[in-house]
Amino acid sequence: MRLARILGSSGLTFYTLIFFAFIYVPIGLIVIYSFNADPVNMMRWSGFTFDWYKQIFGLKNAASEAALYIESTDQLLAAVRTSLIVAASTTMVATVLGTAAALAVYRFSFFGKRFYRVLLFVPMLMPDIVLGIALLIFFVGVGISLGIGTIIIGQCTFLISYVFIVVSARLAGMDRTLENASADLGADEWTTFRKIILPQVMPGVVGGAMLAFIISMDDLVITYFVSGTSTQTLPIFIFGMLRRGIKPEVNAIAVMMLLFSFTIAAAGLYLHRRKR
Amino acid sequence: MGESIVRLEKVRKTFPLPEGGTVTALGNINLDVARNEFLTLLGPSGCGKTTLLHSISGFVQLNSGCVYVDGEDVTDRPPHRRPVNTVFQNYALFPHMTVGNNVGYALDIAGARRAERNTQVGAALDMVGLGGLEKRLPRQLSGGQQQRVALARAIIARPKLLLLDEPLSALDRNLRQSMQIELKTLQAELGISFIFVTHDQEEALTMSNRVAVLEGGKIQQIDAPLAIYNKPSNEFVASFIGASNLFRGTIENGTVTTDDGDKIRTSASTGTGPITALLRPEQFSIANGGEIAAETGRLDVSIRQIVFSGAGYEIHGRTDNHHDVVASIAATHQALVAGAEASRKATLTYDPAAVHLIATEGARS
Repeated sequence: MRLARILGSSGLTFYTLIFFAFIYVPIGLIVIYSFNADPVNMMRWSGFTFDWYKQIFGLKNAASEAALYIESTDQLLAAVRTSLIVAASTTMVATVLGTAAALAVYRFSFFGKRFYRVLLFVPMLMPDIVLGIALLIFFVGVGISLGIGTIIIGQCTFLISYVFIVVSARLAGMDRTLENASADLGADEWTTFRKIILPQVMPGVVGGAMLAFIISMDDLVITYFVSGTSTQTLPIFIFGMLRRGIKPEVNAIAVMMLLFSFTIAAAGLYLHRRKR
Repeated sequence: MGESIVRLEKVRKTFPLPEGGTVTALGNINLDVARNEFLTLLGPSGCGKTTLLHSISGFVQLNSGCVYVDGEDVTDRPPHRRPVNTVFQNYALFPHMTVGNNVGYALDIAGARRAERNTQVGAALDMVGLGGLEKRLPRQLSGGQQQRVALARAIIARPKLLLLDEPLSALDRNLRQSMQIELKTLQAELGISFIFVTHDQEEALTMSNRVAVLEGGKIQQIDAPLAIYNKPSNEFVASFIGASNLFRGTIENGTVTTDDGDKIRTSASTGTGPITALLRPEQFSIANGGEIAAETGRLDVSIRQIVFSGAGYEIHGRTDNHHDVVASIAATHQALVAGAEASRKATLTYDPAAVHLIATEGARS
């Protein structure tokens, strides 16, 4: 019995270790490789270097024999800027519209409400490639020229769903008698919304916004379809680099993105904790 | 009209049922509540008492009828423009606000000046015994304390009328009893009317000036607690309030002969026809074997069970005609009860003047 228990528990420990290794070892390797001096074979450790980071920031010219993997630092920075503009705009639009939709579904009963709710879920479940093609055909058909504007519209179509779901979850946990209590104490509907409902859904709104921001920064498939030829977001830029072989700079960029995402997630968690 | 703080005229409210059709929550209710009165709405769940409360606070739209508060017609006014405040069943404290901001909410909405608002918040919290807890959040308080915060929040704006929707039902027994007394004291201090909803008959009898017993969307009886208890107007009220022994039968020459064949003597001198006689358990005494005066009522029962309840004994007996009877006998009669337990028989006596007669349901229609 005891042996079985020890075996069982050590088996579980082993499984847990493997489980986390499976998830985190590849990410860890990328971090390590980003400091590997060997320019040709990443698998061979030939010394520690900051060169790749220096290169992506344009502080150091690429080594001669490795040629220029990044044609210009400007191009990379332009892609980062595009990504940030897109993410900031989509987050703003998706958060406002998604929250408004969630509040409407929570607050009012109207004809076809269930159907409406399903319609809001569907973009999230739809395969990205289908949504991408559909948007592309639509934009071309209607005659909107592809660029940063179409990327923002395209991403909003499904990010609204994410915000809607996160805010709805928050609203579902809300006590409706609080609205009655507020009205009972003399507050009109707008005051009740401002002082009672909004403060309580705020964590949901902030959470939804951060989710939208991270997904927007990361989106490749839909963005790829609707970005046109002259606009590049960061994921598209990295994807383009990969087509010419996996180069050490990619690791450095990946690590930077990882840090960025962690920072946002940590900020979100911190804000969430402080609210409690 | 000058005297009553609330007047309901032919208030009617129906709700649609999911299966189709409607249920009548309030059927043409008329009600007057006097200034400074403590009125309790008592009834089983689903009797319409909360709907009645909501029709005063404005949370339900009436099908027909009028609601007046302090002489003004408020029927079509939204809740936030009615001069009443409510203590909600689950307290409904704003979880993201401190106790101070919860209590001061009504004043903040009204745009009170900061210094005065803070003084009043402090005073309201002192009144409910929670002085100095302004900075706490609701979840950092016990259930009883949250209850007091809800009370302070509702009285701070000095409403003309305070509505309380089963506010004590979530508290444990001891706390509930001390809160009952505190509420009563508070009501006297504030000098405003309270309308209190409960399904607990003991609570209703303890606290109220008047009790309105509701069932099926109708007020079955509205009266002082003692009258409700001693002179219920129908069988529902009689059986809902306290334990009761009901004897259905017909009356002739002052004696009720029940359908089972028992005879109950009453002090009524006239009247014939179907009737129900009510005897409360504590109106019975246990005979000591001596002579029973001719004018005293008596019931011979076989003992089914005797339960000791602290203050006395509850004798569950059955008459020869198979009618179940409950009698409360004071603990001082311990010897007699022991005798009855040994012989499995007892003679219960009662004063015929204590028998209350109720028109039998169905006979009226």
